[in-house]
Amino acid sequence: MQSTGRVKRQSAVHIFASEYGESTLSEKGSGEFDPSFVITKLGSRVNRVIVAGLLERIEGRDVSNGSVIYQGQLRDPSGVNYFSVGDYVSDSVKELTIQLSEKLETGEPILLMMVAKTRLYQTDEGAVYTSLRPEEMCVIDSSRYASWLAKTSDYMMIRMSNYMSSLDFDANIESMSKSEFSEHQQLGLVAARNHYGELDLEHYRLNVMQALDIAEGKLESASKPAPQRIEPTIDEDNSADEKESDDIETAITDIINTLDQGDGVDFETIIVNAEARGFQRAITEEKIEEMSDSGIVHEPAFGWFRLV
Amino acid sequence: MSDDKYESHIKAVLSECPDADIDEVKASFKKYEEEFYIPPQDALRSIVRRFQGEKQTTSKSNDTNNSPRNTKKVKSLSELSGADRDVEIEVEIISHNVREQMIRGEEKKIAFGLIEDNPWDDGSERIRWEYKDWGPNSNITPGSVVRIEGASVNEYQGKMSLNINQGARIAILREGTRPVNAPGDPIDISSIPKDGYICVVGRVLSSREDQIHRKDGSGSLDVVRGRIADESGTIGFLSWEPFAHEIGSLIKIDGAQVRTFRETPELNFGRTTKIEPFHDANFADTEKLTSQNMKTVSQLTDGSRDVEIIVQITEWEKRSFTKDGVEKHLWSGQIADLTGRCRMSAWEELPIEANKLPLTVKLSGVRVRAWQGIPDITVDTAKQVEFLDTPPWDESINLEDHVVEVELTELTKSSSRVGITTKGTIVSVRDDSGIILRCVECRRVLRDGECASCGSSESQQDVRLRLVIDNGEDTASLLINKAASIKLTGLDEDTMAQKIESEGKMEFVQSLRDMMLGRVVKANGRTIVDEQGAMILADHAELDDDDPGLLATEVRAKWGVN
Repeated sequence: MQSTGRVKRQSAVHIFASEYGESTLSEKGSGEFDPSFVITKLGSRVNRVIVAGLLERIEGRDVSNGSVIYQGQLRDPSGVNYFSVGDYVSDSVKELTIQLSEKLETGEPILLMMVAKTRLYQTDEGAVYTSLRPEEMCVIDSSRYASWLAKTSDYMMIRMSNYMSSLDFDANIESMSKSEFSEHQQLGLVAARNHYGELDLEHYRLNVMQALDIAEGKLESASKPAPQRIEPTIDEDNSADEKESDDIETAITDIINTLDQGDGVDFETIIVNAEARGFQRAITEEKIEEMSDSGIVHEPAFGWFRLV
Repeated sequence: MSDDKYESHIKAVLSECPDADIDEVKASFKKYEEEFYIPPQDALRSIVRRFQGEKQTTSKSNDTNNSPRNTKKVKSLSELSGADRDVEIEVEIISHNVREQMIRGEEKKIAFGLIEDNPWDDGSERIRWEYKDWGPNSNITPGSVVRIEGASVNEYQGKMSLNINQGARIAILREGTRPVNAPGDPIDISSIPKDGYICVVGRVLSSREDQIHRKDGSGSLDVVRGRIADESGTIGFLSWEPFAHEIGSLIKIDGAQVRTFRETPELNFGRTTKIEPFHDANFADTEKLTSQNMKTVSQLTDGSRDVEIIVQITEWEKRSFTKDGVEKHLWSGQIADLTGRCRMSAWEELPIEANKLPLTVKLSGVRVRAWQGIPDITVDTAKQVEFLDTPPWDESINLEDHVVEVELTELTKSSSRVGITTKGTIVSVRDDSGIILRCVECRRVLRDGECASCGSSESQQDVRLRLVIDNGEDTASLLINKAASIKLTGLDEDTMAQKIESEGKMEFVQSLRDMMLGRVVKANGRTIVDEQGAMILADHAELDDDDPGLLATEVRAKWGVN
């Protein structure tokens, strides 16, 4: 029964850029037609999303086989989603992409909504990024944007609340199966809790508050002062160089704390995880050495680090 | 609001683009905020881009230096050779079995199974090897992704496998997510899968001897048919072996085979099935279980038998047909209860007068067939029908045009239903929405100008919308008929045809998307649910978005976000 028949269509999740973009975990079933999922920190297993925001960038890039791949950025109040439109998309998405990139050239603001497939990829250096592949898109007005913001806020609060109630159970399927969560939810929550460790949900709450302000038309309270320096928009990781040296130390401590199963955490894993949190490899490497020198971490086996 | 509320943002823009006109910059912020609901901090980058023009810088920091180790670190199993001794690789555990083995006179537990490389990369080719874990590490479970360090490669008769030696280290990168169901553990009747071998505990509600005649006429087989129940539900059974357990007795059945006839699962008891009396003083009694055996229209599934149900007959007519030269009669009509509508047919005349409708009846021991997804209750004898004076629900409800509101999730999990309404977010507007050509013979949509089933190319123009709706958990196809599509889009057939003619089909469908994608639609109609998923055939549909401001206020109140 499982091998025959068509695979059920996966639901689209209303999700903010912050929750999606912070994901560094994915899941692929072993069967040929099993869907793959990106698992967010809140434990959503996301195969398909419905996102919206300001189209900030969309640019074509020639690739070796002669075709053009468009890459774009969609900003919502919580952050940026990256998407790419390749050869495999439907004609209508491709056509709309070309139209949009022309329209964006004129400087006209564009609010875009898209239903897209999720994708996680790892660079050669080991950093994990999220990206989206649009299936269907359309230009929307501010009222539909407001609607999406309100709905997405609700869904995010539901996920936060589910995440909190999941903490009453141990992070394994056996314990979680005693909960009220569906199998799909259990799988996501268990995987997320094991991968991401302890979470601070405060910034998600702030995202929701800001989104609701905008949905209610209270733009004033949704406005924040301008950042001191604008990061270059081409930088894939929009917060990488903003971090202070203290942040990275906290991050490394945190990473070792969560991932240490008794033998320490290996160098590469620390680097990869720090990179996923927005710290460049070179900075992390330097910092680990510094922390080792100053006795914050020690190295029980070569390349393996523990907190002192 | 003071005029300089954008001041700090304008400054930020000017520091990046010194040549920009300050008023233009201010006007841009105003426009983003007022027309597009984009607060200044979010609009900032777009505005900078605009004033910066096409200035681009590329900065990419690339410094990969591998920490020096003696370990051979590989991504793919294909990079390994038979001589490799200290290997590090990330894999997914596909299967994991533990067995005991005598090694040098000592009984040892070892684990073996299958692993696959490239565990993170979806869609890529994965290579699968066998492995042996001599530890064995207790933390390995199927489905988990692990990094194995210090493993060695074993090559035997050209077949490669991985040895996880006692000194090797295994780091769990992602815990196994596949739940394991132990055999011999009884499961709820409501959670019985569509096929496979299972174990249940239940009470016998009915049991009768029956015969199955071989199709080739070579004789017949004695079987026993009946139903068992627990508090979660009931299921029919068919025993190929003698079955002597009395009605009302509680039994444990291990190794029953589930077979699904049409849509309805049934237990088969055979030679290898173990049935024994079970003792549980707290198990629900026969009376309680029989009363819950009562079905509603929404619960009817194709192929079910021994159904008990109370329905109202709203339409009834006699039909005649000739079979083998003999004229036969069949009575059929519409029935309904509070959960929906469906059809009923009777092979014997029932005392029903058209002017007395609607009539409430209690049906017992009837069976269900389905035509085009709509359940049709078959009444074989008049004895199965008992007329009731009043319905068990509010008599004033007119069931003939009664529409039941059903959550999308429930619809996708129940059987096909009639007379429902549901809501969902539109997540797809299919490219074949709009004007289509149907085959005049079979009403199928023509593909490339030809009917796939009867080859005819004679066609008739029709209008329909094909959407996918979604509630964040489940999805369904939504097909909206001509009248409802015209009403929903506000475009009549001619206008649609003109638009398609002038803009092209693709642009036309995109205009439907611009109108509907991401919005909530409420649809009335019927459903067809099969192994392909749920399909809603709607004769009415309307966009049903809540006011965003109100919705936001609701969300605040619900979650206490202020």
